[in-house]
Amino acid sequence: MSREDYLAWTNQAFDAAKIFAKPEALRGIRILELCTLILGPAVPDYLGEFGAEVIKVELPGAGDTMRSVTPYGTFWKNASLGQLPQNHNKYHLALDVHSSVGAEIFRRLAQRCDVVVENLRAGTMDRWGIGYQQLREVNPKIIYIALNGFGQWGGYAEGRASYDAVAQTVSGLLATTGFPGRLPLKTGVFVGDYFGALFGALGVLSALHYRDRTGEGQFIEISQGEGLMRLLDWSWIYYHLEKYNRPRTGNRDLAICPSDVFLCKDGPVALAAGTDEQFRSLCQAMGQPELAENPRYAEVLTRLKEENAVSLLEIIAEWAKTKTVAEINKLGEEYGFASSPILNAKDQYESPHFRARASIFEYEDPILGKMTEVGSPAKLSATPGRLKWANKPVGLDNEFVLRKFLGLRTYQIQALAEKKVIGKWVEMPPGRKPPSDWDGKAGVIM
Amino acid sequence: MEIPKIQTTLPYEDFTIEADRTWVDWIREADDPRKNHLKPEALDDLLVLDVSEGSIGGLFASSILAEFGADVIRIEPPGGDSARKFTPFGYLYKGTGLGYLMEGRNKYHITLNLNKPEAQDAFRRLAAQADVIIESFKPGVMDEWGLSYRHLKEINPRLIYGSVYTYGHFGPEAGCGKPNADICDQARSGVMAVTGEPEGPDGPKPWTVPTKEGNWMGWYAGGGWLAFGILTALHHREVTGQGQMVDVAPPEAELRFCDYHIQYYHATGTLRGLVGAYDSSVFPYTIVKTKNGYSFIAGFSDPNWEGLTNIMKEPELRAQFPTIFDRLNKENQPAIHQGIEKWSQNYTGEEILDLVQDYVVNRRGPGIVATAWMTDIKDTFEDEVWWDRGIFEKGTDPFYGDVAFQAPPWKMTLTPPRLKWMCRPVGGDNDFIFLRYLGIGKEKLKEWEKKNIV
Repeated sequence: MSREDYLAWTNQAFDAAKIFAKPEALRGIRILELCTLILGPAVPDYLGEFGAEVIKVELPGAGDTMRSVTPYGTFWKNASLGQLPQNHNKYHLALDVHSSVGAEIFRRLAQRCDVVVENLRAGTMDRWGIGYQQLREVNPKIIYIALNGFGQWGGYAEGRASYDAVAQTVSGLLATTGFPGRLPLKTGVFVGDYFGALFGALGVLSALHYRDRTGEGQFIEISQGEGLMRLLDWSWIYYHLEKYNRPRTGNRDLAICPSDVFLCKDGPVALAAGTDEQFRSLCQAMGQPELAENPRYAEVLTRLKEENAVSLLEIIAEWAKTKTVAEINKLGEEYGFASSPILNAKDQYESPHFRARASIFEYEDPILGKMTEVGSPAKLSATPGRLKWANKPVGLDNEFVLRKFLGLRTYQIQALAEKKVIGKWVEMPPGRKPPSDWDGKAGVIM
Repeated sequence: MEIPKIQTTLPYEDFTIEADRTWVDWIREADDPRKNHLKPEALDDLLVLDVSEGSIGGLFASSILAEFGADVIRIEPPGGDSARKFTPFGYLYKGTGLGYLMEGRNKYHITLNLNKPEAQDAFRRLAAQADVIIESFKPGVMDEWGLSYRHLKEINPRLIYGSVYTYGHFGPEAGCGKPNADICDQARSGVMAVTGEPEGPDGPKPWTVPTKEGNWMGWYAGGGWLAFGILTALHHREVTGQGQMVDVAPPEAELRFCDYHIQYYHATGTLRGLVGAYDSSVFPYTIVKTKNGYSFIAGFSDPNWEGLTNIMKEPELRAQFPTIFDRLNKENQPAIHQGIEKWSQNYTGEEILDLVQDYVVNRRGPGIVATAWMTDIKDTFEDEVWWDRGIFEKGTDPFYGDVAFQAPPWKMTLTPPRLKWMCRPVGGDNDFIFLRYLGIGKEKLKEWEKKNIV
């Protein structure tokens, strides 16, 4: 029963090579998406990676706004890189729901779906005749989720635009990220969007469980800023109890000591020892076992006191200066304290560990070719998540979706196209169309 | 090359102010968090054992399930979870640190010394009745006790077993032996490689380093994704009757939030680096100094850039950087940022919000501009709007008394999550839980206490 024996078992149970030999957990769940940017589209993406069938509805022509958002304006094979992470495994229908015919098609699709996801301003869908109240008329079991900046009602819900960074700014996350006396730091990623979407997916899954039990659907709302507030650990209660207005403290953790980033000879290393046992190991590794006996540092709660913490972090900083990142990382393994280099995208891309865990996920997209993206972080032994295809050009699956789910005939589909109720991509702006060497067939289902 | 003009019209974002009152009034009534206690719970058929230790990630995962109504039994060693001491400056409230206090919600708290065979057996009997187990040990620890998934599935094939650990339970680094830590979760996730101030002309400074997110985002991301995996597995079990193991490594959980890092590297072989106040895919979309603090402000697409420069009355700045490619150019971003700050420093954050809202709501010109002034912990906590929304709650806990804390962020018309109690002291529910699930009474428990089993 050694650790090696256990790891041999887990490596076999989670073998990435067998992903496509296993069933999908959410097979049979169908999701209708009317979303742009990240907060909305990521919800069906997360669920679609586990087998839910997702119909993404975009406006004919320009489609999702995220098709314009890509790092340094880089359009790769005519695709927006910003559009890729939250649009996998979806069917792409370009449908103008502003028209009455378009709204009716949307309602009919909703009738065939289990979940509807939208991220518009409160009340917009209702105005278009496709809001929760209208959709539950045609499908009483529907689970409907709306995500946006400030929710469906309340002091900020009306008339105020929101983005991820607005959520970071109003939630307290911005005020507590960065170094003292310096610029408050926007997290370098759209965390309010992505985490908000995870909250959304969790809401949908819990509602789905209730529906499995009772057959009843419901409405769910999520605000990206409010989601971030949930995650600010002890900030609120400490303010409530002691009026402590949590400042920015760089990489130092005020509640775990030591936990910080230290500069080695060749770069920064993250290091933590949150328990007395781990701290003793660290002191051994530093060659200063007496530190663990020092009454100022020996016990975790004493060590956390401001004066003690500051002096201890200085001692560790002095020691770290004499080491390389690799040396400290190795000492962490040998002695049992937490240590890590700061990984960037290249380190992760090339990491055998991330690849073995299918977190760096390779697949071949029919239109874009060889893809390397980020797989679902939730690893399920019996029903693993998977990426099958990437984001598609606007309207690529119009014919397939309308024929398969609504049984429309060729002449009807043509009429809808002529009336511009459905449509395909525009040439400009970029980010909408297939690559220039596309043969007109690759990736088309029907 | 001819530079294409981007006409982002934000097709579905209709920023008209006249929100549909019918909808707003209806939904406010329908998902009002004050009425949560009148409604049923989504997961109240589940029994969850959370045996995580020293991990806010494990605690957050079980918090989510507990908020949705699951019976969650927290199992700690007799001395208490080391996470009870993750607390600012060593501050304890009625014996427990604040990090743990926040994530003890709605759970029963019992003790078991899993090094003892009697405790292992008790755990096994609980596991036979449970739907979900959550643990955060290094891989192999539970296995040595005979309590890993490969053992427990034999006595409970419906069991969903969740593990959360920095390196995960499989893959070449899973056996590295290092303990889990939020700072390392963040360091491995990629988020720190882009968060932080880039080096200026004066060279490196103590703050021009990869920087973590202020909260325990690594742990929270890991816990959130573990709950996701568990609920996904639950649906599969509903259909097939089969349980399974769910494994989450928090760095990968946070990597899933790291935009298009990997895609950008795959496509171009290049990295983004520390962005500071700048952004690589939307700009301006930045934090600027104001008269009284900091504000976020954005005007990225051409119409929105026009809107922003109209509000600033700076048509020259607009003309200087006419396309999104000019504005996304790393070389230009400092100049654009300074241009905005020159204007923003004359106003308070509240005044900037008023100027922007006046422009957008009254349609004084093209474009949508988003802004927000930075609120700190005090400002946010004291803002009545969030209390009205039920984001913060002050509750009466039988042991901890009248304490304010963050409530679950979901609003739901039928099965909303809710708070019932805040936390329990170490072993606070031993009597009830051992009797309820194992038929063990007070006398036996006292005996076990003496033997350091509970």
